[in-house]
Amino acid sequence: MDSETQSGTYLEVQNLVKWFGDDPAVDNISFGIPKGAFLTLLGPSGCGKTTTLMSIAGLHSIDSGRIRVGDVVYTSPKEGLFLPPEKRDIGMVFQSYAIWPHMTVTQNVAYPLEIRKVPQSEIDDRVADVLELVGLTDMAEKMATQLSGGQQQRASLARAIVAQPRLLLFDEPLSNLDLKLREQMRVELKRIQNEVGITSIYVTHDQSEALVMSDEIIVMSKGHIEQRGGPLEIYSRPVNEYVSNFIGVANLIKGRVTQVTEPGRGTVQITDHGKDIQVACNLGPGISEGSDAVLSVRPENVHAERENGDGASLEGEVLQAIFLGSHVDCRVQWGDFEWKVIAHPRAHLKAGEKVYLRLDPEHTLAVQP
Amino acid sequence: MSTETLPRTVERSLWANRLRSLLTQENIVTIIVSLIVGAAVILPLITLFISSFKVLDPLGWDTTWGFGNYVTLFTDRIIPKAFVNTLIISSGSTILATVLGVSLAWINARTNCPGRDYLEPYNLIPFFLSPFIGAIAWHNLGEPQTGLLNVWAREIFGFEGALMNIDTIWGVVWVTGIFFAPLVYLFVVGSLRRMDPSLEDSARTTGAGLVRTTMTVTLPLVMPGILSGAIIVFVTSAGEFGVPFKLSAPYGWETLTTQIFSKAVGDDANHFLGATMAMSLGIITVFLIWIQQRYIAPRSFTTVTGKGFRPNVLDLGQWRWVAFGYNLSFIFVAVILPIACLIIVSLHPVWTGKIVPEAMTFNNYVKTLFFWREDSIQAATNGIVNSLILAFGGSTIAMVMALVVSYMIHRTKGFGVRLLDFLSVVPIGFPGIVLAMGVLVTYIQTPIYATLWILMLAYITRFFPYGQRNISAIMMAISEELDQSSRMAGASWFTTLWRITIPLLKPGIFAGWILLFIIFLRELSISIILFSTGTETLSVGVYYLTNFENEPLTAALSMAQTVVLLIAIYVFRRVAGREALTA
Ligand SMILES: Nc1ncnc2c1ncn2[C@@H]1O[C@H](COP(=O)(O)OP(=O)(O)O)[C@@H](O)[C@H]1O
Ligand SMILES: [Mg+2]
Repeated sequence: MDSETQSGTYLEVQNLVKWFGDDPAVDNISFGIPKGAFLTLLGPSGCGKTTTLMSIAGLHSIDSGRIRVGDVVYTSPKEGLFLPPEKRDIGMVFQSYAIWPHMTVTQNVAYPLEIRKVPQSEIDDRVADVLELVGLTDMAEKMATQLSGGQQQRASLARAIVAQPRLLLFDEPLSNLDLKLREQMRVELKRIQNEVGITSIYVTHDQSEALVMSDEIIVMSKGHIEQRGGPLEIYSRPVNEYVSNFIGVANLIKGRVTQVTEPGRGTVQITDHGKDIQVACNLGPGISEGSDAVLSVRPENVHAERENGDGASLEGEVLQAIFLGSHVDCRVQWGDFEWKVIAHPRAHLKAGEKVYLRLDPEHTLAVQP
Repeated sequence: MSTETLPRTVERSLWANRLRSLLTQENIVTIIVSLIVGAAVILPLITLFISSFKVLDPLGWDTTWGFGNYVTLFTDRIIPKAFVNTLIISSGSTILATVLGVSLAWINARTNCPGRDYLEPYNLIPFFLSPFIGAIAWHNLGEPQTGLLNVWAREIFGFEGALMNIDTIWGVVWVTGIFFAPLVYLFVVGSLRRMDPSLEDSARTTGAGLVRTTMTVTLPLVMPGILSGAIIVFVTSAGEFGVPFKLSAPYGWETLTTQIFSKAVGDDANHFLGATMAMSLGIITVFLIWIQQRYIAPRSFTTVTGKGFRPNVLDLGQWRWVAFGYNLSFIFVAVILPIACLIIVSLHPVWTGKIVPEAMTFNNYVKTLFFWREDSIQAATNGIVNSLILAFGGSTIAMVMALVVSYMIHRTKGFGVRLLDFLSVVPIGFPGIVLAMGVLVTYIQTPIYATLWILMLAYITRFFPYGQRNISAIMMAISEELDQSSRMAGASWFTTLWRITIPLLKPGIFAGWILLFIIFLRELSISIILFSTGTETLSVGVYYLTNFENEPLTAALSMAQTVVLLIAIYVFRRVAGREALTA
C-alpha cells in the first residue's frame, strides 16, 4: 500500500501552470489532499476548474508544476515526466456523462475491468455490485441511449468507481440535471463516495452544492486559489471580498481599519454622508491597523430595530420587505448603500419605515478587498 | 496496487524521460500519417512545378531550364485552342448543370410535385456513374450515321439527314452538363429543405406571385449553395477527360485534358510540356476552389435558419404535372436512355445503327468479362481485376488515413494540425489528371512506376479528402468526452480508437468507404496517365476498347461497370441514408 497514507498528502498538486495561447488558464495552483477525502473546486465558469482536473487526469499536458498521487509522479515537465491518462488509474465523471451509446449499461460499466484484464466471472460480480450501489440493477441490459439523464449519471458514476481507482474526478456532474434531481443526487453521490472511500475531487460552480457535499472547498478565481477551508469556515470566515461575495449573500462595505484592539479584533471606520462611523468587528487574515478593508456581514447577522438601542446603530429606511414565511427578506437604504437584511416576521417591518441596523461584532468581519 | 511498475522520480535522465513521454501511440501514429499525407500531397505538386521549367530540346534527349514551356502554351498550334475549348465546355456545362440542378432541387424540396420522394434517388444516379460511359452511350445515341436517335428520326419520322450530331464540342457540354447536374442539386437541396418557409410566406403575403417569390426570395437565399455547386461543376468539367476524349477530340476539338494526355503518353510525349499544362490548369482550379471554400461555402450556413422546420411545400396546382414530367424527362435522358442504348449496342456483334434481334448475342460480355478464357481481351479483363483491387484496397487505406487525419484535426490541438487541415483540402483543388501528371513526373524513375501502387497512391491522394469529410461530419457531432472517458477507464489511445471512436464513427466510415469505392471503380483521368500494360483499370479497359476495338465490346464492358456502380449506389443509399450527401 502507498507509504504516505500516514504522512497525510495523497494527491499533491504543486505550482500547476497551464497556458492556452496567451492566457494562463491555471496560474500557479498548489494543494494537497489526504487519502479518502472529498475536496471541491468551486468557482465561476472559466476560472480554470476543468483545466485543473484535466491536468490531474492527464488529458492535456501542463506547462509547469508537479502532480503526484501516492508515490507516483503523474506529471512533471521539469523532470520530463508525463504518465499517459490510461496509466493514472483515475475514475472520471464528465459533465456530459460520456456514456458510450453503442454499448449497454453493463458493457459500459464492465469496460474498465475488461481493460484491466479482470477474469469474466469477477467482472460479472463487480458490475452487479456496483450497479446495485448506484441503483441501476434493473437497467443493466438497456442500451445506454435508453437511459434518462439521471440514470446516465449513475451509470457514469458506476463506470468510474468499478475498478476502484486511486482517484475520482467529477467535472460538474450534476449541472445537466433538473433542480429536484440535482438535490437528490448530491446526497446520493456523497453517500456512494463515502461508501467506496475513494479520494475525490469535485468541480462545481454551484456554491450550495459545494457547501452540502464537501469535506473541504477550494474557492478559485481566474486561475488562482482564493481560499481553502471547510464549508463552515469558508462561509463564516471568508478571507476576502471575492470569497464572501461568491459564497452565500453578504453585505460588503468599504472601510479602513482604525484600531486593532486584540489579535483578530478591532474597529473599522466606514463613512456615511461624510459622517464616520466606527464598527467593532473581527479581523480576517492579513488585516492590520490602517489597512483598507471590506466589512462583510451576512444578512442574517444584521438586526433591524425600531429603536436606536445603544446609539451605535445605522439609521436607514426600509425599501422592501418580502414575507417568506420563516423570515422576512428586507432591503434597507443607508446612504448610497442598500443593505440586505433578514428579519424576524414578528418585527413587522414595512416599506418606507425608518429602522436602525445593529451589527453583531461577533459576526461582522473585516476582510481584504 | 502495482505502483512498482509505474515510473517514479528515478535517476533516468531528463531527456530520456521527455522522449518517453513524447513517444506515445497517438504521437507516433499521427506523425507517421502526417508525413505520409504531407509527402503524398506536396511531392507531386512540387515536382510538377519544377518540371514545368524543364524544356525538352528538339531532339528530345536533354533538357534545359527556362520558361520555354510556358511560351509554348501560347505559340503552339493546338494548345491555345484547347484552352478556349476547355473554357467553352466548362462554362457551357456549368450553365446547363446549374439550371438543371437548381430546378430539380427546387421541385424536389419546395413543391408538391407528385412522387418526389421516389424521384430523388434517380436524380442523383448520374453523379455516381461514369461521365465517360455517358459519353460512349450518347455517342451511340447521337452519332450522325449510326446514332440510335438519328436512325429513329429518319425511320420513324422521315427526318432528312441527322437530327443531332453529338460528336461536337456542344455534345461535350450536353453530356457533361447532365452528368454534373446532381452536383449542383446536392449543394442546394439541403438548404432548400431546411429553409424557413415563413420567409417565402411573408413574401407572398406582400402580393408577390409564385415565380416572383421564387426568384426574389427563395433562390437568393440559396445563392451560396448555387455558386458553390457551379464552381465545383466548372472545375470538375475543366478536369474531365473522358467526355471530350470520346466526343470532341477525335473531331478537332482538343481540350487541356486531352492535350495533357497526349503529352503524357502519346507519340509526341513531352512530360515537361504536359506538366506545364497541368500546372496552368491546376492554378486556375485551385484558385476557384479557394474562392469557393474561403468565401462562398461559409456563407451557405448563414442564410438558412437552424433545424426543426417542416417546410410546407408550394402547391403548384396543375403545374405539378409539368414539374413531374420535367423531372421524369431528366431521369430518362440522363439515366434510362444511355443505359438502354448501351444494353442494345452491347448485344450486337457489330453496330450499324439498326437493332437486329436475331443477331443478338452475349458474346461481347464473354470476351470482355470472362478473364479465364483464351479469347478474352486482356486490357478489359485486367481492368476488372485491377479496378476491384484498387477499389477495395484503395478505399480501405484511404479511410484509415482519413480516420487518423480527422482524428488529428478534431481531437488533437498540437502543432501541425492546421497544416494537415490545409493539406487535406488541397487535393480537392486539383483535377485528377493534374495530380496524375505530378505523380508521373515524381515517380517515373522509381520502382513503383508501372505498378498498381502508383495508381493507388494517386487515387488515395486525390480522393481521401472525400472520405475524411464523411468522418469529420460525425466526429464533430460526437463529444470528445466519449474518447476521454475511455482513456480514464484505462484504455490506451489505440484501444480507445478501436473500441470507442471507430464504432461510433462506423456510419461515416462506411459511407465514405463506399463513396471512394464508387469513385475508384470508375476512375479514368488519373488512370489514363499512370497505367501501363498489365495495370489497366476498368475505365482504361473501356478506353482501350473504344479506341482499338468496336462499340459493342465497349458497350459490354461499360455495362458491366455500370451494373457494379448501380449496386454500390444502392448499398450507399441504404447505409448512408438520404442526408449523407446533401450539403
Ligand atoms: N482547449 C482550450 N483552448 C483554449 N482555451 C481554453 C481551452 N480550455 C479552456 N480554455 C480557457 O481556459 C480558461 C479556463 O477554462 P476552464 O478550465 O474550462 O474553466 P472552468 O472549468 O472553471 O469553467 C477559460 O478562459 C477558457 O476559455
Ligand atoms: Mg468547466
